[in-house]
Amino acid sequence: MAGNNSVNISFTVNGENFNNVNVPSRQHLADYLRSQGFTGTHLGCEQGACGACTIEMDGKAVRSCLVLASQANGANLKTVEGFDDEMMEKVKQNFLKHNAFQCGFCSPGMLMTTKEILLNKKKLTRDEIRSEISGNYCRCTGYQSIVDAIEECINEIN
Amino acid sequence: MDDIKVNQNPKLGSLDRPNSYIGRSLPRENAKKHLDGGGQFVDDLTLPRMVHVAFLRSPFAHAEIKSINTNDAKKSDGVVDVFTAKEIDEVCKPWIGTLGHLGEMRSPEQTPLAKKIARWQGEPVAVVIADSRAQAEDALELIEVDWAEKEAQVDMETALDSNAVVIHPELGNNLFWTRTVNQGDVEKAFKKADAVVEATLDFARHTGVTLESRGIVADWNKAENKMTIYHNGQAPHMMQHIIAKHLDLNEGLVRIVSRDVGGSFGIKVHVYPDEMAVTAISKKIGRPVKFIADRLESFTTDIHARCHKISGKLGVDKNGKILAMEIDDLSGIGPFSMYPRTSAIETNQVLNLSGAPYVIPNYKAVGTVVFQNKTPMCQYRAVGHPIAVAITEALIDKAAYKIDMDIDKIRKINFIPDNAYPNKCPSGVPLEDLSHEASMDKLLEIMDIKEIEAQNEEDFKKGVLTGHGVISMCEVTNPSPLFYGVGGAHISSQDGASIRLEGSGAIHLSSSITEQGQGTEAIMKQIAADQLGVKMESVRVTLGDTDATPYGGGTWASRGAGIGGEAVLKAARKLKDNILNIAAAIMQTDKDTLDIEDNNVIRKNGGEGITLQKLAETVYYRGHELPKGTNAELLATASFLIEGIPFVFTNSAMGCQVSIDQDTGIIKINKFWAVEDCGTQINPKLVEEQIRGGVIQGIGGALFEECVYDNQGNMQNATMADYLVPMAYEMPDIIVDHVTTNSGRSIIGAKGAGEAGTGGAPAVIMNAVNNALKQVNAEVVSQPITPEKILKALGKI
Amino acid sequence: MKAAHFSYHEALNLQDAIKIKAHDDESVILAGGQSLLPALNMRLSSPTCLIDISKISGLNEIKIDGQTLFIGALATHSDVMNNKTVKNNMPCMFDILKMVAHPAIRNKGTHGGSIAYGDPAAELPALAVATNAEIIVSGQNGDRSINAKDFYLGLFETTINQDEIVVGIKYPLLKKGQKIVFDEVCRRHGDYAMAGLIANVMGSKNDIKDLKLVFFATGDKPDVADKTARLCLENGYDYDKLKNSLSTEIDFAGDLNSSSEMKLHLATVLIKKVLSKLEI
Repeated sequence: MAGNNSVNISFTVNGENFNNVNVPSRQHLADYLRSQGFTGTHLGCEQGACGACTIEMDGKAVRSCLVLASQANGANLKTVEGFDDEMMEKVKQNFLKHNAFQCGFCSPGMLMTTKEILLNKKKLTRDEIRSEISGNYCRCTGYQSIVDAIEECINEIN
Repeated sequence: MDDIKVNQNPKLGSLDRPNSYIGRSLPRENAKKHLDGGGQFVDDLTLPRMVHVAFLRSPFAHAEIKSINTNDAKKSDGVVDVFTAKEIDEVCKPWIGTLGHLGEMRSPEQTPLAKKIARWQGEPVAVVIADSRAQAEDALELIEVDWAEKEAQVDMETALDSNAVVIHPELGNNLFWTRTVNQGDVEKAFKKADAVVEATLDFARHTGVTLESRGIVADWNKAENKMTIYHNGQAPHMMQHIIAKHLDLNEGLVRIVSRDVGGSFGIKVHVYPDEMAVTAISKKIGRPVKFIADRLESFTTDIHARCHKISGKLGVDKNGKILAMEIDDLSGIGPFSMYPRTSAIETNQVLNLSGAPYVIPNYKAVGTVVFQNKTPMCQYRAVGHPIAVAITEALIDKAAYKIDMDIDKIRKINFIPDNAYPNKCPSGVPLEDLSHEASMDKLLEIMDIKEIEAQNEEDFKKGVLTGHGVISMCEVTNPSPLFYGVGGAHISSQDGASIRLEGSGAIHLSSSITEQGQGTEAIMKQIAADQLGVKMESVRVTLGDTDATPYGGGTWASRGAGIGGEAVLKAARKLKDNILNIAAAIMQTDKDTLDIEDNNVIRKNGGEGITLQKLAETVYYRGHELPKGTNAELLATASFLIEGIPFVFTNSAMGCQVSIDQDTGIIKINKFWAVEDCGTQINPKLVEEQIRGGVIQGIGGALFEECVYDNQGNMQNATMADYLVPMAYEMPDIIVDHVTTNSGRSIIGAKGAGEAGTGGAPAVIMNAVNNALKQVNAEVVSQPITPEKILKALGKI
Repeated sequence: MKAAHFSYHEALNLQDAIKIKAHDDESVILAGGQSLLPALNMRLSSPTCLIDISKISGLNEIKIDGQTLFIGALATHSDVMNNKTVKNNMPCMFDILKMVAHPAIRNKGTHGGSIAYGDPAAELPALAVATNAEIIVSGQNGDRSINAKDFYLGLFETTINQDEIVVGIKYPLLKKGQKIVFDEVCRRHGDYAMAGLIANVMGSKNDIKDLKLVFFATGDKPDVADKTARLCLENGYDYDKLKNSLSTEIDFAGDLNSSSEMKLHLATVLIKKVLSKLEI
């Protein structure tokens, strides 16, 4: 047996430094972030199937329940609390306008998935948008309003 | 400001005045916090000295617990204690899930943790309390249980057989409840019928799969004898009563706080054994205790729904007039009836609602509800509707096909006419203010049936089976005391609102209705601001806290807008009246010459007014300036309940077109239309989103969702990868339109809108699929309609 | 659902990882973790130690290596989908990977991880078998190359030894007239298929010269159907004949969403669907 039950790592969350913190080896990143007060990252299934915990890790969307906290060594993480740039503010306005969420539990993951769609700068049809968000579960809306909001974001950007 | 999309209720005042918010699709500004990660869900809460629990759950559907050894678990890292039924029962009294108003119900006592016998896979048996959830789960592995597995009664269809395993021997058999409705003489009428059609449909078990799982933090404060419960429920005052009753606490000293709730759909309105155990543990150890169900626990312990097999028979004359309808429904509810609402209501609604839109002079319905060794079943969104609507509408299509009549025509000639209300369902339940004729006309107008039929034929030539369907339905909303209260349940059917003008000029509103994402806070704000004459942004709202809101029922059965909204309207009107009286005194004029607009008391005929802030300052800080005897109350409260009828019904008409891939059996929904008549729409966008979300949930049941069990009673697909919820790619856009018939029961005129989509979609999908399959003489009778069932129907496998 | 205890070791280099793995037979390799983490979270797997190889540099290389396209084990599905060399040399890869779960999973899940895990319902093992790919593994005794058809033994079972780690996959470059075509039938987009087929075809729609059929989500490993492929080559598409042949050639294993009978039917239909994608 090698290694330890906790690991000392450094990383950033929304630009804030976390230097030399000890994380339990077995803890996934979502639980770690939540324990530090980033409770906007939600857990729906802990097996990658619902998309609620999707965050940004080094510029890419990842399921934070399928990444160990220890794997975040050296990473730049962004959670919903840090989605405050101009593009994401616009996205939020469109989500609000189209009522693209009801209970709000899926929203952090849905916003991250939207962010990645927009960063890819592709003009997508409604069916393609549905394909891109098909890993994010929403029980409330039935998805149409979310597709409406993302479609408007894409039109504004392209 | 958005255009008013609907014809407003004249009782609500003119449309072109300032601050007319009712009827406008305003965005939910209050909900933006969710987009900033600022929601406050139960799992987001951390309290000092808080501990976590994990439950040891029965791995068997039916087993005797011969012994439990918790010694090693108690020594595990971070463990505070380990309890079994013995310790929990010292603090929490058992309950029985029966009600008194629906005939005899038989369900035994239930305790938080199973004693001696476990009766479903997932039933809690022991609980570890530890510093973290992970440590609690570590210790679970160290608990030794000596199990003696027993034969399980899994299949509801054999539950009443003489050789069935009797789950509660003291009851003698597995019957929970049965009811028969008999109106007229069906036997005689069937003999007279020119055509009689029959169908037997079955509906799998499914469950709510709220994205946020059930969760609770119980915090017993010994110094104050006070229990504070943070809970993601739908009915805080009901929980307050139940926790006080079973833990023997002073009800006034139990506080339930339900902040943000990540979806509920009826799943979170019931009393769960594990949550009761958590409150008992906090009382016992004097520390805050958190329990958040993981997804496996959600699948095996959240209530399940549906699980029905229903046979139906419909007789019509040669002109298509319905002469008689008969149904026989069987449902399996797991080993216990849920508390306190019972597990009889779904079947009861099937009996109440079948045939509801139509004139059916002879109606007979039998419902039988049995126990089985599966997860308990109870009320979930659109209780009973999917079964009632599917059997009714399937029979009507069959009758139409048999006498060669158009599917829309046969419905139209049988509707209870729009001008014939008040009226009654075939079951005898009173109906009023409905519009099946107008709604179907609107549906046909937006669907363009001719074009759809042409497309169906064209597709058939290409080898694609395309078909369509239309349905009509009644939707139960806004229940009265005749729903639960009359049967002995302490569930309020009245709701309250309290509204005040504060010293700053701000308006504060509190309501006993709760928010789970529907937009409760937004519509309450719209009603209050509209009726008071203030800007929306000057109103703030408190919901979901028994210490801070008026007493009431909470949010379930689509009662928020119609009941809670009316209470807000009445409170706002009272406050306005008070304000105008005070203003009249200050301004030394007649009250009738005054009004409130944009947070100012104005003189209708012009001249200087007074801001609400100035008025409030006078009242609060310089009350001595007011004329003697002025009633200076800037706080108004009001309550509302539905009286005299069991429910305020809503009606809906839906249509869809589907295509079936004959090679793979995969169904594609090409288009879906819904017309809803929910009376006054306070926020049309939010109404539409209730319809859409509901329809998708209904499509889930129709095509995807099923709790799959093996014959030993083990759930086979209790993960989100294996239980198929509707995801975005397979779901259609839904065109929503409205007819508006206001409810005469209230000033606001609103009915509910949350159930129809889920209640109607399974029927219209099934009818469309069978319309498509009819072209090759095939048929499906079982939901979810899986690709395999389609291929079997087509004779391909 | 919280994982049981394990220790975590961030491997500095391949040798480091191989050494630990060789000495602890209850240790497992963590690459993308997209299949491992769900198993850990649900306590379906309780290894003693996770050896994180994801930070080892050079293992995500994608290049032309002689007559093969080499994809390094740590290249993520997203890396592979967006790679020009892959697009130019193996255009089918994009369409295949698009069916693997969802974007955020593909951002982490690795090519080598999917190959090594050997999930019979996954696309990539079937692709490797269909294309006659070589799987390169590294161990205490150096590297060895295993042909994909010999790599998969059974349900999640491969020929890889305890001390070995997959470092890359070599796909033979397509010859002129050769095409990889693919289709699958799922309940929902991104789900594991009820049945899927990868066909390696030489020729055009009307003149198929050679055909290899490899099915996935049908049995306990990628299912090669050479006899059925020959029958199809000789007689063309005949549903009944091909279905009969497949039933003798593959031991179809039903699952939650499709019975073995359903899988047999879908497998047969997939041959038609895949062949219809060929150009005339």
